[in-house]
Order: sequence, then structure tokens, then C-alpha cells
Amino acid sequence: MAESPTDVLLKGNTGRNTRGLLRFIILATIAAAAVSSRLFSVIRFESIIHEFDPWFNFRATKYLVQNGFYSFWDWFDDRTWHPLGRVTGGTLYPGLMVTSGVIYHVLRFLTFPVDIRNVCVLLAPGFSGLTALAMYFLTCEMSTSPSAGLLAAAFMGIVPGYISRSVAGSYDNEAIAIFLLVFTFFLWIKAVKNGSIMWGALAALFYGYMVSAWGGYVFITNLIPLHVFVLLCMGRYNSRIYISYTTWYALGTLASMQIPFVGFLPIRNSDHMSALGVFGLLQLVAFADFVRGFVPGKHFQRLLTSMIVFVFGISFIGLVVLSVSGVIAPWSGRFYSLWDTGYAKIHIPIIASVSEHQPTAWPAFFFDLNFLIWLFPAGVYMCFRDLKDEHVFVIIYSVLASYFAGVMVRLMLTLTPIVCVAAALALSSILDTYVFVSNGPNPRSKANDDSPSEGLRSARKPEVGITSYLSKAVMTTSVVIYLLLFVAHCTWVTSNAYSSPSVVLASRMPDGSQHIIDDYREAYYWLRQNTEHNAKIMSWWDYGYQIGGMADRPTLVDNNTWNNTHIATVGKAMSSREEVSYPILRQHDVDYVLVVFGGLLGYSGDDINKFLWMVRIAEGIWPDEVKERDYFTARGEYRVDDGATPTMRNSLMYKMSYYNYNSLFQPGQAVDRVRGTRLPADGPQLSTLEEAFTSENWIIRIYKVKDLDNLGRDHSNAVAFEKGHKRKRATKRKGPRVLRTE
Amino acid sequence: MRPFTALSALCGLLLSASSFVGADSTTSRVALPRDFKPPQVFKNANLVRTSNLEKGYLRETVNVVVENVDKLPQSDYYLTFPSDLYENVGALEVRDKTSPENGRFDVEATEFIPGSDYQYFVIHLPKPLPPSSQTTLGISYSVLNSLRPRPAAISQADRQYLAHSFSAYAPSAYTTVTQKTKLKLPSTNVPDYTTTDLTSSVDPQRQGTVYTYGPYDTANVAPGTVYPVSVRYEFTKPIITASLLERDLEVSHWGGNLATEERYWLRNNGSKLTDNFSRVEWTITSYQQLPSASLRELKYPLKPGTSDPYFTDDIGNVSTSNFRPGKPNREGSLEIRPRYPIFGSWNYSFRIGWNNDLSAFLRRAVTGADSYVLKVPFIDGPKVPEGIQYEKAVVRVVLPEGARNVRYETLEKSSSNGLPSASQIQSEISTHKTFMDTLGRTTLTLTVEDLTDEARDSQLLITYDYSLWDSLRKPVTITAGLFTVFVAALAIGNIDVSIKKR
Repeated sequence: MAESPTDVLLKGNTGRNTRGLLRFIILATIAAAAVSSRLFSVIRFESIIHEFDPWFNFRATKYLVQNGFYSFWDWFDDRTWHPLGRVTGGTLYPGLMVTSGVIYHVLRFLTFPVDIRNVCVLLAPGFSGLTALAMYFLTCEMSTSPSAGLLAAAFMGIVPGYISRSVAGSYDNEAIAIFLLVFTFFLWIKAVKNGSIMWGALAALFYGYMVSAWGGYVFITNLIPLHVFVLLCMGRYNSRIYISYTTWYALGTLASMQIPFVGFLPIRNSDHMSALGVFGLLQLVAFADFVRGFVPGKHFQRLLTSMIVFVFGISFIGLVVLSVSGVIAPWSGRFYSLWDTGYAKIHIPIIASVSEHQPTAWPAFFFDLNFLIWLFPAGVYMCFRDLKDEHVFVIIYSVLASYFAGVMVRLMLTLTPIVCVAAALALSSILDTYVFVSNGPNPRSKANDDSPSEGLRSARKPEVGITSYLSKAVMTTSVVIYLLLFVAHCTWVTSNAYSSPSVVLASRMPDGSQHIIDDYREAYYWLRQNTEHNAKIMSWWDYGYQIGGMADRPTLVDNNTWNNTHIATVGKAMSSREEVSYPILRQHDVDYVLVVFGGLLGYSGDDINKFLWMVRIAEGIWPDEVKERDYFTARGEYRVDDGATPTMRNSLMYKMSYYNYNSLFQPGQAVDRVRGTRLPADGPQLSTLEEAFTSENWIIRIYKVKDLDNLGRDHSNAVAFEKGHKRKRATKRKGPRVLRTE
Repeated sequence: MRPFTALSALCGLLLSASSFVGADSTTSRVALPRDFKPPQVFKNANLVRTSNLEKGYLRETVNVVVENVDKLPQSDYYLTFPSDLYENVGALEVRDKTSPENGRFDVEATEFIPGSDYQYFVIHLPKPLPPSSQTTLGISYSVLNSLRPRPAAISQADRQYLAHSFSAYAPSAYTTVTQKTKLKLPSTNVPDYTTTDLTSSVDPQRQGTVYTYGPYDTANVAPGTVYPVSVRYEFTKPIITASLLERDLEVSHWGGNLATEERYWLRNNGSKLTDNFSRVEWTITSYQQLPSASLRELKYPLKPGTSDPYFTDDIGNVSTSNFRPGKPNREGSLEIRPRYPIFGSWNYSFRIGWNNDLSAFLRRAVTGADSYVLKVPFIDGPKVPEGIQYEKAVVRVVLPEGARNVRYETLEKSSSNGLPSASQIQSEISTHKTFMDTLGRTTLTLTVEDLTDEARDSQLLITYDYSLWDSLRKPVTITAGLFTVFVAALAIGNIDVSIKKR
């Protein structure tokens, strides 16, 4: 039999090696594509940390690299939340920083002169390559089709829902957490399938890593017990489940408790109770299973019923008692807001004020997942067809994650992996059915050939599968077109929506060349170079991390938002009159106040647009002093022009934003390009603050808080005197004399 | 036998290139007793001091005719500076005025004498001056941070004025017979200057921007007498001061590349702002191109063929820069604009870097096949009319891994090259490990204090030995390392560690 050279390569032992090599090359290519598709911002701008939270992570990483692990662990940061400070080492998830610290030290050990900034910037793309690999392993567990894993890996590599959180420079916990999530699930599936302590322990290990990296670990903590619980309810209890779950739970809980920020939460917090409950349940089921072997069936039924009733009664009472007495912490506010989307708006405005905590708009699903979103239900349906243990997992994960993704925009991230799995299952089965262009019967019918050659002729040579070349061609072409569209869409979304550092803004010059608007860094660098090292900067909390990272100055509040009252204090200072704000500023040692103003450039993310949140948060603490209604006109409009309410026009935020803005225009011609309105002819006057710096396009304005007046006057009098106005004593004298009683 | 010949060869090499300075030297200073008075063995027959104030620092040349009044030949002339200026004197150079091409004289600094009004440099004349004979010394130096902005605080659009205070009698340890001082001012706008009655005619004499104090007949004035004089003149330009300049030059034989990186810690020493910075006013100023005492832009000429320039600071790339690559034979230009205008007492630190083709800087030495000569600028730096003063400059030349016998020299010209004499340059040889080095690269670090942009054109000459084996070390090491890893992986992969029954 003459073998063609391709047969030598594709069949038998060599064939397996060839396919292995091919698979390896494909996976490496997918990883490379995943990494390179995330580099838009590095190429277009520079290697820079993006947005807000990454700046804190970056700063923490620098601290870790400079001061070593133990002082990082014990880090008390007195340069944030002045004057409270923050126990940073105990209130962060250290996984991200430690990961990049380890990478940095390894590279340094190999004497590569890497900058820690570049390690941090490129960490997310690097881990996205690993995520694609983990996805391959996970999907291979779900399907026998060789193409499903590769497809899932490719989807995961470039799907925008994941890219949104892992472009270069987006140095956030999610950067490594999604890899850990997928890999932990893979190990868990492996453990359930094999009933192996090793896989269970590995799952626990990666679960521990995940806990150290992201608060989203709670998703795993609840999903795995739910998986086990559903399997139990389906009557699928076996020793494999027992072994893998108990191993995972015991080791994983211990591992998670090593993180100071988590500490004893796994045994005290309601969010973790389901894992504990399922652990207990599993012991009971195992015990029942054990007893069943010794007790006759009838007795066993009675025993089982009474035992279930008894145990559930005891544990329910215990749970209620512990919850009421406070041993078990009640559900957190963020948790409630998962079930009731209106909850946060009423009770925790600070959570509601973050855009990524808003409910998802439905086009976002298509935007982030493209054609995967309609393959997703098909994939889930195919899991129902097989319904092995691991398919149950996919189904549960899909249902839960779909719900969460609908509630909160940022949870789209947890949905993405399972969408990739399900879509890959669906697509691979389509491809397997249609793509095999062989003359003989397709693999499925070949398998049927082995059955005894009896019965009907049609049953002996069943016409299963597609033989028509036309339908094959149509299907494969359309799939290829969809895949190509998917790639185009992903590239477009990544390039346009997710690759802006938001620290640096890009615009186009009239000649088409790129013009960089770099006001943030201009102002931050000015602060860094030309103010006292310990000058306290007050700004709205959004900019706290950036000021800490780029300006290296102490701030009052930052994106950590651990102390709502402190944030409300800043909100109050911003939204009150100068006479009210100035004592607050003095009490908090504020030297400079920083506001973001987009009026000149038309930059809409400025502080006047965020102002109502400041008012609302301040109102939450001081309902008598700050009232949201006062900032709206009688007709309920939010205005900054002549029609603005007196409260609005006297608020510190309004004054700081528009101070001296008039002088840039012809008299009476000042225009706010964000609100699109003409401003009052007379600009606001400031007496307790003075302008210290304004960036080139006026985006950042920094004000210096004046010291107390040397002559003991209040500042408005002092300013009036310096302008040559007479003191307004005359008007007072005209009135009738009043006997002072105090 | 061989080590001995090598040693003698080395000695011969050292002798032949005696001007080269070997590695590891620290600046030493002569210790003087507390109540030191220079021996009165000289007389200044005539002294002409020219103070150039056109830049942001003081540049002075003193031409003095020196006469030995002692009975013995004398070779140590003490040069005097007021104590408050002494530490800021840089690039001091003394030559024979009549034959400057003979090179500079050896000058040594002395330890700071606490409590004394004057501090000294010792000029070692190459040939002792015989009794009652004369020689003419051409002394040039710059003094950093001696010009004071007056008023010390101005508002943003105001003009800036500097005050230069000095003694009409030039400080000297010896009796001076006649002397005069010429001031070269940057502008004719001189609101205040001291007039004296030391001469019969008007003093100072004005001629355009040149003010001349003297000539004075000071044969009877005791050395060290001070006649305070001050001039206040307009200087609406930034006083650019680098408190530290770190300059790295990295030589790569494999890449044929000379990479340069410079890190600046800049400060404007001009008048502070009375009020805070006003963006509106600044927009008007820059729109109308009015003069300002702030630093807006630095133009940085780069050699032809310079590539890959960058301009970053602590928080990333500074987008406000412009690079014009040099055509062949034409200088490129890097226009760097700081993120914000730098007003008086504001700081700005940044780093810039670029690459050059190494062949323009490196040559094989004629002495040996494995010996190389590297000729690089000692400092580059922006070219601005107001000048730049560097309080401290650290130049680090990273040579290839395994370079040996490193010696350096600064090239002398017939006039001052802006650098101090070799004894004032501190040098150190160390190793620098990077990019999988095994031994580490030989690094020559030169530290100079009180430098000005006069030193822009000065050249640094470095010779070193570097053999073929040195250049092959890294590929061989990496190959061996990878080979070891593969063999180890193969060996480990073949070990059966399973616990199942066999």
C-alpha cells in the first residue's frame, strides 16, 4: 500500500506527534494574537498605566519592589486618606503586585534591565495569552472534538469582553484573575472527572491564588458548591465528587484565609456560607451512602428522612442565631445590589456613582461578544444533550453569569469565559459535522459501522452526516465569514473603545496628525515637582489614585472608597459655600484643591458633570446642610449659566471650575463647551483660595488654600480691601441699632 | 617570564601616554593650616579682569602679569576667591597667556578653611619663575549661582533683573599695581550700578553693554581689600540650573551602537512669582511671543545620523517634543518643551536619550589590534543663548563586557574647553551587569562639579583593550546555558517519579 507523504504525517504515531506539534503551534499563535491585539495603546500612545485603579496597583507594586514583601504586607500608607491613613497591606488583594514583583525580580536576576512600569503594563496581555491556554484545557474537558478547545482559545484570546479589562496598561486585578478563574475551573473539572486528590489540591492552590488576586473569587466560592449541590440533587453523588470537593474546600479555605484582607471571612461571611453548607451536606450524604450499605432499605428511608429534617432544622436555627447575634456577617451592600439594581441608588450612592456598576445595556452584549452571544444558547443546549458532570457545570455557570452580567456592566467579564466555551462547543460541532471533506462515510457513520451488520440496509449504512458538497460549502463559508467578521469586530472594538489610557487624550490636528492632550500629566507633574512633598491635595475621589501615583502627593480620598464619611466630607467641601468649606479645608490640612474642568475643550468627564454625585453623597451624611434640590432650578434643570441657582453658583466646585474663565473670552462671551451654554457675564469670585496652576487646556485646575489672614480678617473682607472696596459697614449703620444679647 | 614582559610593556604604554589618566582617581585637595596666608613672593604688575554676564552664570577671565619679588625662584601662585564663591568656581583653567597652546597649568584646590574670608587655588607653574622676572597668566573660570535676581519675586509678565555684586578690587593674595574690571552685560537696560570715586574720571566707563571699572592704581592697597560694587541689569531669560546631570554612554560592539541617555534635574534660579501662575496671562504671553523669564523650550542639537530619540520624565513620555532628524552632514535637532513653563524656583526633571552609529566614535588604536579608542563629547546638552549651569555632572561610559586597561583623557584646545583640569575630575571604574552579562561591563564614571555649557564641545577620549574572545563570551555563555537547560530537561523528563506499581 503506497502511503502518500501526508499520510505518514497524519496517521499513526507520527500523526499524533504531528497533530500535537500543530496544536502547539496553533496555541502559540493564538497566545501571540491575544498579546498583540492588546498592544494598541502602547503603539498608539506609549507604555503607560491606564485609568484610575491601575495607578494604585502600580504604586503598590513599586512599593513592594522597593521595600520587600514583608514591609509591603505591613504597609500602612499615610499618604492617602489624610489624616486617617489606610492599612494598605491588609486591605488589598496582593496577588497582582506579588506576581509582577516576582516577574520583575526574576528578570532582574537574569540581569535584564526591565522597568517595573513595563512589567506592570505588559502583565495583562501576557496573562491573556495564558488565559487562552487555560481556556483550551477547560474546553477540551467539555468536548471530544479536537477543534472545540482551539476555537475556545481563539475566542478567549480576542473577545472584546475580556480585552476591555486586559489591554496593555490596564494593570488591574482582573488582568490575572480571569486566567486564574478559568484555570481553577479547569482544575476543578479535572478533579471531578478523576476524583483525584491531586487535581483537587491543585484547584485549591489556584483558588488560593485567585483569592489573593481578586475580590471576584466569591464567584468561584459559590459556583463550585452550587455545582456539587446540583449534582447531588441530580442523584449523582459518588466518591469522586466527595474527594474533589472536600479536598478543594479544606485546602482552598485554608489558602484563602492566608490573605489578610480575607482573613476569617470564609467562615464568618454570608457570601461564603454556601460552600460551608455544601461541605456539611456532602458529609451527610457520604454518611448516608455509607449507612445505606448496612441498613435495610425501609429503615434507611425513615432514618434518612428524620436525619435530613433534624440536620436542616439544627443548621437553619444555628444560621439564624449566628446571623442575628452577628457572628456571621450580614450580606454586604454590594451583594444586595446584585439582586436589586435599584438598591445601590437608594442606599449606597457611592457604588451607584461608578459607571461600571450600572446595569448592562443589551447592545453591550453584542458589542462585547459579537456572534458568540447567539452561539452561546446553542452551546448550552448541546451541554444538555450530553449532560455529564462537567456539562452541568457549564449550564450552572452560564445561567448565573448571564444574570450577573445583566445586573452590572463589569460582570460581563465573568460571563465571557463561559460564552467562549459554549460558543466553541456549538461551532465545533457545526464544523465537525460539515467540514470533513472525505469521500467515505464521515466519522460518525464509521463508528456505527462497527455495530453488527444486521437489520435494515439503511440502518447498516446509515446516511448520518452531510454528504452534499453544496451544503458543506455553504456552511463552512458562512462560518468562515462569521469568524472573519468576529475578528474584524474584535479588532475594531479593541482599537476604538478599549485602548484609550484616559490619562492621555488624543485628538487630531487639522492636518490629520495626532495631537496629544496631556493635561492630566502636566498638572500632576507640576504638583510633583513644585509643591511640598507633604502638601495635601483634595480632589474628588476619582483622581485620588492618579494623584498618588503620578503626583506623589498625599490625598484626602481615593478610589478605594473605604470610608464613606470622609468622601462625603470632601463632597460637602466641594458643594458648600466658601465660608463653610474653608474650615473643612483647614481642618483637613488641605494645601491644594484639584478640580477637573472640561468647559474649554468640551471634555465631558469633568467635575461639574460629576457634581451631583458629590452632592448626593454629602447629602447622605449631612441631609440638613446639603440638599440636592437646591442645585436644581425651580423647573428642575441642572444649569450653570445665568439661571443657575444661588446654591450652585456659590458652591466651591462651581467657583473653582469657572474662576477667571471669563477673562479668556470677550466680555459676556464665555461659553462652556460641555454644557453648551453661555456663562454669566461676571465670573465667580474666590476669596479663600487662589489659583495655583491651570493646565494648558484648562482640564485640570489647581487651587492653593490661603493661609489665615495676617490681620485676622476673614478672607472675603481681605480680598475686598485689596481690591480697594470700602468695607460694607455703611449699610449696616443705616439700620436700627440692635442690642447685642450675646 | 611572560607576566614580567607584560608588566614592562604596560609600563611602557603608560609612559608613552602619560597624559592619559588611569582608572580610579579621587580629587584630592591640599590641606592648609587654619591661619594660612600665602607667602608674599609675587606681585601682580597688571591685572585685567573680564566678567562676562551674557549668560545665566558668571564667566570671568583674568589676565595677570605676575612678577616674582622673592629672592628664590617660585612656582606656587595662590589664586584667591571669596569664601562664598569658592565652592561654586568651576572649569578653572590657567595658561601662559603668551603661549596658550602649551596647555594648561596644574591647578590644585585647597581644603576649605573655615572662618577665612578667602579660599585658595594653588597654581603650579611648570617652570619656577626666577626672581624679578615676569610671566603673564591667563586665568579663566566660571562661577555658578552667584548672580542674584533682584527683585527676588516678580509677577508673571514682568522683566527680570539680575544683580552682580563684586569687589572693584579683584581679590588677590598679592599686591596688585594696576587693575581694571570689564563687565560685559547682556543688555543696555541697566537700572542700577555703583559709581565709584576711585579714578579721576567717571567710573565706571560705559561703552554699549561694556562697563569698565578702573583702571585703578592699587599699589598701596593691601591685598584682600574689598570695595563692594554691584550692577543690576535686565536678564529676562531663565537661569537654567541643573542640580544634577547624569549622562550614560553605552558602547555596543555587537550592535555598532552608541546609546546616550541623559537625566536632568533642572531648576530655574530666576525670580520667583509674586502671585501664582495664571494660565490666562501665560496664554497671552505665549501668543504674543513676549519675552519671559520662564523656560519654555530647550533646543538640543544632535549629531548627524542620530536616531530613536526619546524625551520622558518620571510619569512617562512628554508628548510636547519635536525631533528633526539630521540629514547626512547636518545636525539633527530635538526640541523639547517641558510639560509646563518653568518659572523661577520651579523644578523640572526629565530624561532624554538617542542612538548613534558607533563607527563615528570608535576606532582601533594604532598601538595594538585589540585596543580601541573612543572619542565622545564629554557632555552634550541643550544649546541656549542664556546658557546652562550644571552643579554636578556624572558621566558614565559603559564599555563592552571584558574591556580592560581603561584610560581616559579630555582633549585640550588652545583655549578653554570648559572642563576643569584632570585633577578636578573624579573617576571610578566599576562593573555594570545588564542583559545577561556574566562578568559585567566595564564602566568608567567621571564626576565633575560646577560645570557650564561652555563644556559642550569638549571631547572625552577613552582607550581600552577588547579581544575577540571578549566579544564571543556572551553568545558562547548563552549557548552553553541553553544547552545545559535542555540536557537537564531531558534528564529530568526521563526520571520516573510515579508512585504506581511497576
